[in-house]
Amino acid sequence: MSGVKPEDTARDGFDQIGKPVPRKEDARLLRGKGTYLDDIEVPGALHACFVRSPYAHARITGFDLDEAKAAPGVVAVVTGHEVNDWTNALKMAPPIEGLQPTEMTTLPVDKARFHGDPVACVVATDRYLAEDAAELVYVEYDLLDAVTSYDAALADGAPLVDETLPSNLVSHQKFEAGDIARRKAEAYRVVEAAFAMQRMTHLPIETRGCIALWDDGRAHLTMHIGSQAPHPMRSMLAGRLRLAEHQVTVASPDVGGAFGQKIIVYREEITVAALACRLKRPVRWREDRLENLSASLQARENAVKTLAAVARDGRILSLEAEITEDFGAYCFYPANYLARVIGMILTGPYRIQDYAFEVKIALTNKCGAGPMRAPMAITSLVMDGTLDAVARELDIDPAEVRRVNMVRPSDLPYVMPTGEKLEDVTPSECFERGLEEIGYAAFRDAQEADRDNGIYRGLGMCNVIESTTYGSAFYKAAGIPGSGHEAAWVKIEPSGAIRASAGLMGTGQSYETPYAQAVAEGLGVDPAQVDVVLGNTDISPYGMGARGSRGATAGGGTLFLAALDLKAKMLDIAAALLGLNSPSELELRGGQVLRHVGGAWSETGLGLGDIARTAYMDPLKLPEGMEPGLEMHRAWDPPQMTYSNSTHFCAVTLDAATGRVDIDRYLIVEDCGTVLNPLVVEGQQQGATVMGIGGVLFEHMVYDESGQNLCGTLADYMIPTACEAPEIEIVSQNTPNRRTPAGIKGMAEGGIMGAIGAVNNAVNDALRPFGVVAERQPLSPDYIRSLLRVTG
Amino acid sequence: MNRIAFTLTVNAMACEVVAEPRKLLSDVLREDLRLTGTHVGCEHGVCGACTVLVDGAPARACLIFAIQMQCREITTVEGLTPAEGLSPLQQALHEEHGLQCGYCTPGIITTFEAFLRENPKPTDDEIREVLSGNLCRCTGYANIVRAIRKAAQIMRKGTAA
Ligand code: FES
Ligand code: FES
Repeated sequence: MSGVKPEDTARDGFDQIGKPVPRKEDARLLRGKGTYLDDIEVPGALHACFVRSPYAHARITGFDLDEAKAAPGVVAVVTGHEVNDWTNALKMAPPIEGLQPTEMTTLPVDKARFHGDPVACVVATDRYLAEDAAELVYVEYDLLDAVTSYDAALADGAPLVDETLPSNLVSHQKFEAGDIARRKAEAYRVVEAAFAMQRMTHLPIETRGCIALWDDGRAHLTMHIGSQAPHPMRSMLAGRLRLAEHQVTVASPDVGGAFGQKIIVYREEITVAALACRLKRPVRWREDRLENLSASLQARENAVKTLAAVARDGRILSLEAEITEDFGAYCFYPANYLARVIGMILTGPYRIQDYAFEVKIALTNKCGAGPMRAPMAITSLVMDGTLDAVARELDIDPAEVRRVNMVRPSDLPYVMPTGEKLEDVTPSECFERGLEEIGYAAFRDAQEADRDNGIYRGLGMCNVIESTTYGSAFYKAAGIPGSGHEAAWVKIEPSGAIRASAGLMGTGQSYETPYAQAVAEGLGVDPAQVDVVLGNTDISPYGMGARGSRGATAGGGTLFLAALDLKAKMLDIAAALLGLNSPSELELRGGQVLRHVGGAWSETGLGLGDIARTAYMDPLKLPEGMEPGLEMHRAWDPPQMTYSNSTHFCAVTLDAATGRVDIDRYLIVEDCGTVLNPLVVEGQQQGATVMGIGGVLFEHMVYDESGQNLCGTLADYMIPTACEAPEIEIVSQNTPNRRTPAGIKGMAEGGIMGAIGAVNNAVNDALRPFGVVAERQPLSPDYIRSLLRVTG
Repeated sequence: MNRIAFTLTVNAMACEVVAEPRKLLSDVLREDLRLTGTHVGCEHGVCGACTVLVDGAPARACLIFAIQMQCREITTVEGLTPAEGLSPLQQALHEEHGLQCGYCTPGIITTFEAFLRENPKPTDDEIREVLSGNLCRCTGYANIVRAIRKAAQIMRKGTAA
């Protein structure tokens, strides 16, 4: 069916979209009445506990399970020898040039590849007993040398992490547009810069876990599991367990944060589900924090080196980027996925046409990596950091270097060298506003004066182009498998009660309220009337889930379209009931049908309840040929890419004696299009920015040289507390996108991109008098001092 | 295993528990008493999600064996929630969007119900100092601080009236 077109839906002045409505989910969460995974009561459930490799790289030579099997309360102890017979391996072999195919069994039987690799599973009548028995599982290992860094992985003669591959270089791609050699020959100078992000982890405060219920009569598996993408997860689970998709229900309860960690189905979850099917008893598993820190997906640990050929005025003539990443021991995602997106959008808001990048991904003996909130986070740091390097080398003001390179309003739509199209973005408007708000000139004057007094302040700037919503066309262009569509339905029951659902599942992003607003706007009712149900694959339509920052554009947008279509049907019914030939003079507002007569809206006496009753209970009154009922389903594939943009400014003071960095001021100017709910958007901006700051300054998943994970507790892996999080000033300069429903652009990752760039650039600005540059994160006091020591 | 019967006073109610002596207070509250508002985020005393009040003072339920708590008064988020609606602190968190996933929230509510009773007029720095014992990965804290400040104000007015 056709229905309302997205590009026809933007307008000035919405009734419900854009209101700061406090959240619906708060009522249950604040009262301690949320239902997170471990709050679900399942009588008779067994508890699973995993036995994990204490070594980074070791041949498994034998298991002794007898003692564990005899321990109190134990029902089963299994290893890959059983589980791999019950389940399919994960084959990661998309037809991508330069990407090595990999295969991962559910549990390893030949060798353990990282510290924390699950090698056996104990199931007992209670969690304490399962943990006791896990201590009694004996695994014999033959130690192998471990590779624990990108460089070591690619060194000659390095031990192979995956012995089916020719080397640890699991993915290698190149891209070139324009004529780099020519631009370099023309250049005034070629400026080099280097950037690196450390290994991190998502750290949701609720760890992972699952409950698997097997209904032997119906031959049906219900999997309670916190999931960002319930439908794709169901497809994966069914495939791995050799079940038909209709034999599996994924039901996601309230989720205590995810940030990218709860998209895929992990080996532990497949094991637990397979055990529930075999034992024909419910099995549950709750990951503990040590497991979360050592064996749930990790992220980042990528590095980018750039070569910028520049003109005398700082204009970039060409840019080359070498992108490398340490992907860990297993490919839970195609290894090229994250780094390739970095390459695709690296040039951001800057006018660069002659561009080349090379992506190299290595396997190492560390936990597997995957997307974490803003997987392309390093891009803004690399671009704005490269511009800062140009400014330093040519001794030009860094704001000026940004200006001469930035995409101007008259350049839009601007096609990046990778084919990505920037449109409906406002980078220069946001940047100029930011310079004004921060008081740029005054800051520079004060900075000079302070330096003379031994106070080292720095100002960092970062212009962010945030790729929020990936359409199917993007995946195709990037050579990554995947669909970008989303699906939604809106139903009005005979009583007039309204329900809506979409394929995405929230994990704290507050979807329920803005989605209710989008539906309410489309229908012409109050958001309080709209019940939004998410997360259960038996109820919600097949959509691609919450990934990227697509919640508002893909989720809210598709719901808005479905609601508009349903309203059109309701108005057709209203017209028939009122004896009108067409609904063109009719509108629904506040649940009432209004008619435009004599230049004003007047009541018709018809309400949503009357229409609903007629649609279901009196279908003979419907316009001829119309189906009874009020249900509307929409699926929508967003444009290739939807972009938001923002500019971040961060002012810091650096204590040269200790290497400590204090954030004095933090300002964001952002254009994220039409906003569904400004409270929620501001919450995402704050949260993302602080997560970004954590990444620049504190967080670091440390492995030692033998591959031991040194961050087993929250005292070792440090995220920002309330004392480290600054107050953040946010200026909104939103302009609509013309191709998305209501003009939504979305956001939730740009804060991370901006912070990673702005804080790092600020520290380098403060370090300027010392002639040193920080080239890797985190910018710990240790690292800063090591830089300053070199200068004596 | 050696399960023992004992009595806990939780939210002003006497509760009979039969559990192993090694069972954590957090697990007994959640599993035996079905008070699942107390969350578990680390089980090693850092995240603060499991914070309950023991004789009115905040304590980490994951660091205490339930059996140690006989003869003590335990209060959980459920006990701090009015039968209808929200407490002033909960209401302020709602209005100021002080929670996203909500997993850290009960620990913050218990901590600050106690703190605001002792410190009705805290500065932002004092709020942040105390809040640093509760990790939140979602909000960036600013809205939580704002909500606590607002709750303090409202509670002061409430007691003044
Ligand atoms: S669960 Fe008790 S402090 Fe984290
Ligand atoms: S709201 Fe998610 S951890 Fe605080």
